[in-house]
Amino acid sequence: MTARHWLLLALVVVVAMVLGVSGGAVPIPPGDVLRALLGVGDATQVAIVQNLRLPRIALGLAVGAGLAVSGAALQTTLRNPLAEPYLLGVSGGAAAGAVAAVTLGLASAALLPLAAFLGAVVAVLVVLLVARAVAGHADPRVLLMAGVVVGAFCTALIMVALATAPENTVRGALWWMMGSLGDAQWRGVRWIALYVALGIALLIVWARDVDVLALGEEAAASLGLPVERVTRRIYFAASLLAAATVAGAGLIGFVGLIVPAIGRALGARNTRQTLLASALAGAALVVLADLAARTLLRPAELPLGAVTALIGVPFFLWRLRRMR
Amino acid sequence: MFLDRVRRIVTLRTASLASVLGAGLLAAACGGDAPPPRGPDIAVLIIDDFGDTLRFTPPAQRVVSLNPVTTELLFALEVGDRLVGRTSWDLFPEAAKAVPDLGAGMGPNVEAVMGQRPDLVLLYASESNRAAVQQLRAAGIATLTYRTDKVADLPRVIGPIAEVLGVPSVGQLVADSVRASVDAVRDLPRPSEPVRAFWHIWDAPLLTIGGGSYMSELLDIAGAVNVFADAEQPSPQVSLEEVARRNPDVILAGPNNARKIREHPLWQTVPAVRAGRILVIDTTIVGRPGVRMGEAARFLRRALVDSFANPGAGLP
Repeated sequence: MTARHWLLLALVVVVAMVLGVSGGAVPIPPGDVLRALLGVGDATQVAIVQNLRLPRIALGLAVGAGLAVSGAALQTTLRNPLAEPYLLGVSGGAAAGAVAAVTLGLASAALLPLAAFLGAVVAVLVVLLVARAVAGHADPRVLLMAGVVVGAFCTALIMVALATAPENTVRGALWWMMGSLGDAQWRGVRWIALYVALGIALLIVWARDVDVLALGEEAAASLGLPVERVTRRIYFAASLLAAATVAGAGLIGFVGLIVPAIGRALGARNTRQTLLASALAGAALVVLADLAARTLLRPAELPLGAVTALIGVPFFLWRLRRMR
Repeated sequence: MFLDRVRRIVTLRTASLASVLGAGLLAAACGGDAPPPRGPDIAVLIIDDFGDTLRFTPPAQRVVSLNPVTTELLFALEVGDRLVGRTSWDLFPEAAKAVPDLGAGMGPNVEAVMGQRPDLVLLYASESNRAAVQQLRAAGIATLTYRTDKVADLPRVIGPIAEVLGVPSVGQLVADSVRASVDAVRDLPRPSEPVRAFWHIWDAPLLTIGGGSYMSELLDIAGAVNVFADAEQPSPQVSLEEVARRNPDVILAGPNNARKIREHPLWQTVPAVRAGRILVIDTTIVGRPGVRMGEAARFLRRALVDSFANPGAGLP
């Protein structure tokens, strides 16, 4: 990737942020948006821009970067261009963990991502064990099938947990299943951003190992790489990322599938570049998808997960065809 | 219809109060826009159903109601003109339709709500509304969050809501009138063999009403029995087979569902359907624990007790 590519990506993120802060259920002229950003002008507009739109965009950036980097890491490590946290059941496990914590009354802004993380780790272990038992890592389709099945199981667990919880004590199923940035508040967003930053930092540090791993497990082992340990670390960090996004915004699919392909299309040479490019493109994609979610049917909001699925599923089918 | 009744009671009560306490209270007692007796600048503390202690400076002037029950209530309190936003479901009374539609009431669009510049937002006390409440409060907008699930809930919450709107005496009258209208039906003699009814709430999956819920309470007040009163969940999913086995005397359903049941071959397994004993319900009145609950109870009483005792009359 050349400097021009990086500049382009950064520009796209900035444009997404500008569009995101300008659009919404209440039309606010650009000049007023600017004044509201500076904290002057009409109090309602200041509140809408500073208390609603800014934390929402910040959460969108964190969720988008987290999902995209998680997907990029999983795709490279598993050598499977269809791998991503949602399709692999990792996000589903995270949601089950989070819902379990909420129904047990253990949830706080800081702890919710950790509960989700536990669920995600369990899900990823089950998926990998099942896939390995059936076909080894060799068959990407078996891995995806295991992921989808585990995801469906987690969805069922969530429905049971929500059905047994006293009514209206837990956020509705739709929020968890279809994702939304609508609840964004700075207090929660800070924690999500912290966990996402941690996950991305770990993966950047381990990116060289992933490059070696991408040569194939045997080749990597012959180069002296502790394959098992490195693989485990990558899954660990990718799960942390998925869990943080689920705790902040519920289940949002396909971002981790689409975005890494954009990074590769721009000519990312190694894992570190792919991860960084994915972080930027993912952040922009989710902020724009959320803008669509909150403006297309206003004053009604579309679930963000529905918007990303509408974009992601055709892309998935196209990738699937190319894999044959 | 209800509003007329309340207005009559207000006038009546005002007259008797005025004769006892002098004309000074008159303005307060009939006062849609009149200030509360204690004066408008005194703050009130209220604990809502989220358990939050909130401070208000009545009277609230621009209100968004995100629950059909509170929307109706505002009109009954004669402060419907202060309503600046409602949900897509709040279509009663007629005047509510002219108020801007802000979309969903559970997990509302907070930006659309703020855009109406309210000084009070009324919400249903669900966890799905928790974030919205926090966001509104962070922007300095007062919120009141109530769980209106049962017959007893509305009279309970009218007091604090009317207080915040600066119309406590009208609130008292409306609460008394709602209670009285329900009690009037409850106090009628119970039939020795009450009609056993099945509530058809939803088609796929087939949902009914469980024992603890408002609509089951209404049946009880009307002198009838819910065949699924033993179910604990508010709206349990049941099988058609079980409905047939419990053999209700009558099926209660909204207009669309009633048509479906009548035409559906499988529903013919239920004797009440074969006999054409399907009572079409106006779900906007009967389905909501709002100010018209007495009217709803009376409707059920008439349909399920009076007409059954007098078979010539038939179902309405």
